[in-house]
Amino acid sequence: MSEESPEIVKPINADQPVGEVLVFAEQCLGELQPVGLELLGAGRILADKLKRPLTAIVLGHNLGDIPKTLIAHGADKVYIADHPDLEQYRTLPYRRVICKWIEQMAVEPHTMLLGSTTTGRDLAPRIAAHFTTGLTADTTELDIGDYDHKGGSDPSKIGLYAHCLYAIRPSFGESLKARILGPWKNPQMATTRPGVMVPLKPDWERTGEVITIPVDIDSSDYRLAVKETFREVNQTVNLAQADVIVAGGYGLGNPEGFELIRKLADCFDNSAVGASRKVVDAGWIPYNHQIGQTGKTVRPKVYIACGISGAIQHRVGMQNSDLIIAINKDPDAPIFKFAHHGIVGDLYQVLPEMIRQLQSSQSSSPKEVSSVV
Amino acid sequence: MSGISDILVLIKQVPDTSSKAGLNPDGTIDRAKAKRMLNPFDRYALQAALHVKKMYGGRVTALTMGPPPAVEILLEAIAHGADQGYLLSDRRLAASDTLATAYALHKCVLYLGKMDLIFTGLQTTDGDTAQVGPQIAERLDLPQVTYCEDFSIEEGKLHARRIVEGGHQDVICNLPALVTVANAYHQLEYKTLRGARLIQELNRDEALKNQYIHTITLDDVSADPELCGLKGSPTIVAHTDKVGQIGGQCVMHQGKSIEALVKEITGGTQIKEFVRQ
Ligand SMILES: Cc1cc2nc3c(=O)[nH]c(=O)nc-3n(C[C@H](O)[C@H](O)[C@H](O)COP(=O)(O)OP(=O)(O)OC[C@H]3O[C@@H](n4cnc5c(N)ncnc54)[C@H](O)[C@@H]3O)c2cc1C
Repeated sequence: MSEESPEIVKPINADQPVGEVLVFAEQCLGELQPVGLELLGAGRILADKLKRPLTAIVLGHNLGDIPKTLIAHGADKVYIADHPDLEQYRTLPYRRVICKWIEQMAVEPHTMLLGSTTTGRDLAPRIAAHFTTGLTADTTELDIGDYDHKGGSDPSKIGLYAHCLYAIRPSFGESLKARILGPWKNPQMATTRPGVMVPLKPDWERTGEVITIPVDIDSSDYRLAVKETFREVNQTVNLAQADVIVAGGYGLGNPEGFELIRKLADCFDNSAVGASRKVVDAGWIPYNHQIGQTGKTVRPKVYIACGISGAIQHRVGMQNSDLIIAINKDPDAPIFKFAHHGIVGDLYQVLPEMIRQLQSSQSSSPKEVSSVV
Repeated sequence: MSGISDILVLIKQVPDTSSKAGLNPDGTIDRAKAKRMLNPFDRYALQAALHVKKMYGGRVTALTMGPPPAVEILLEAIAHGADQGYLLSDRRLAASDTLATAYALHKCVLYLGKMDLIFTGLQTTDGDTAQVGPQIAERLDLPQVTYCEDFSIEEGKLHARRIVEGGHQDVICNLPALVTVANAYHQLEYKTLRGARLIQELNRDEALKNQYIHTITLDDVSADPELCGLKGSPTIVAHTDKVGQIGGQCVMHQGKSIEALVKEITGGTQIKEFVRQ
């Protein structure tokens, strides 16, 4: 019997110990960044598939409730490094503390995840280069699965590998999705786009271990000093909950253009004003309106982009909106590659007309008439 | 005294995706047919390097890794004012991922000797990873400033502003350092007439060209071929999928009166639902 059954191939890495799934939980000015909780949501699924613990590492000073929050969101264990010199993110001290901690583990993590933020994308490649391990940037999906490496110029890599990290990312201007693997060395690393993974519902009854890790910073790690960090943390602009977002870009030509944007936004219920980074940098509107990679990620029912070219850094913050309407005078603007409706024209002609039509549809609506009467 | 003597800028030739040439229907690129260009962020890096040279002195070396046609971007850099160019070209580099690329390039930096400042673009348009710069910095044990959008050099230190979520961050960094450039604050002067003439001359006179542009191999920089190319790459692309909904879906409204165009939008039911009553 046994001779007739198909040969079961044993994965090359079957007997190797499998480590934990480690998440870098980023804090800024003592505040945990949402991407850390998103990574825990994704990491929990990976860890359960691997049957290994999910751990989180957080560096900073006076971390307060952060470890508790991480455990409530799925971490089995939290490593904390608390030191005044870790309060603000700096590449060299952070990479030293983390690399040293990983080096002393009996088994290195199977997977390490960081956010694709200006911090995560600064730190992750340093750690990956230190361990000479693989790193996939900007992933949008993660999974665990087998991989049968059939060929290629390196025969030493050929064979079946079990439980590999599948790091999936958009490529070629978002038109393709690539699955990237690196099962030959652990930790298998990835950075993940903020706003994509879903955090678990917090369970404040959940318990976990909190471990304080050593902090030995080398004098050479002080070669860079942070003078000042300016972050607009004001959340008064209700972009996340808005049904309709009207966003203005550099095509407005001047800051006064935002009056028109506001007027259009006022035609809708539950609406908000958004902006590209370029107009924020120009000082036309505060940072808390910015949408995109270094601004907010939004998913409204309707997104109206006015005079915005549609750069990838803007696109990642709004491309999941249900309906995207773009107004741009350039028919070749990249925004028309992913908008649902595009009006080619001068926004200073289009927007006033749009406002006029929307307002007249308001006054002609029977509901409105009866309420007046 | 700035104390700057050598500035290195790392640049890459990428397919020009704004041109239709070489674009396959499925969105992938046929690199042989595609037009080539200097990676846009590397243009900013070149601007930064030439800005340092202009303001604080020093010599600018441009370094690229790629097949022989990549020499075009070195010539471009020289036309703008770079002093010399190095092309690392070697078949054993084929299919290098970011780690293997960073290994090979850091060997080149060691080969070139002491550099006070190394500039790279934030990321490339064909890879979009932003990883190679920091990976080189790690190999060279250098401090780094990523996402840099403006800088100056004061008393031998780099004062830089970097982009962060919701704002920016000002840092002061010792030299030598590696900087990845995200923005064009220092405009690249248009290729000077002198630069254009020089390029013509270099294209005519092979011997003169060899004084400006040096093609090197892994052996020249004593790089271990086992750590380069497919062999030295811990990752591979195992599979690609087309992304369904993206591209070519946009309903374009144009060529009518503004009133008619706008009507096509405001008349849509998806919008009407949200109009304030
Ligand atoms: C690290 C990094 C992070 C970034 N993060 C973000 C981010 O979070 N969010 C973000 O938005 N950007 C971000 N950017 C910047 C991004 O790359 C673009 O530069 C920016 O989005 C461009 O803004 P814009 O579309 O308003 O301006 P432009 O690119 O200048 O586009 C203006 C558009 O307006 C059109 N136009 C001009 N006049 C008119 C008119 N009268 N009527 C109609 N259309 C007109 C033009 O055709 C053009 O398409 C980031 C960049 C980097 C490097």
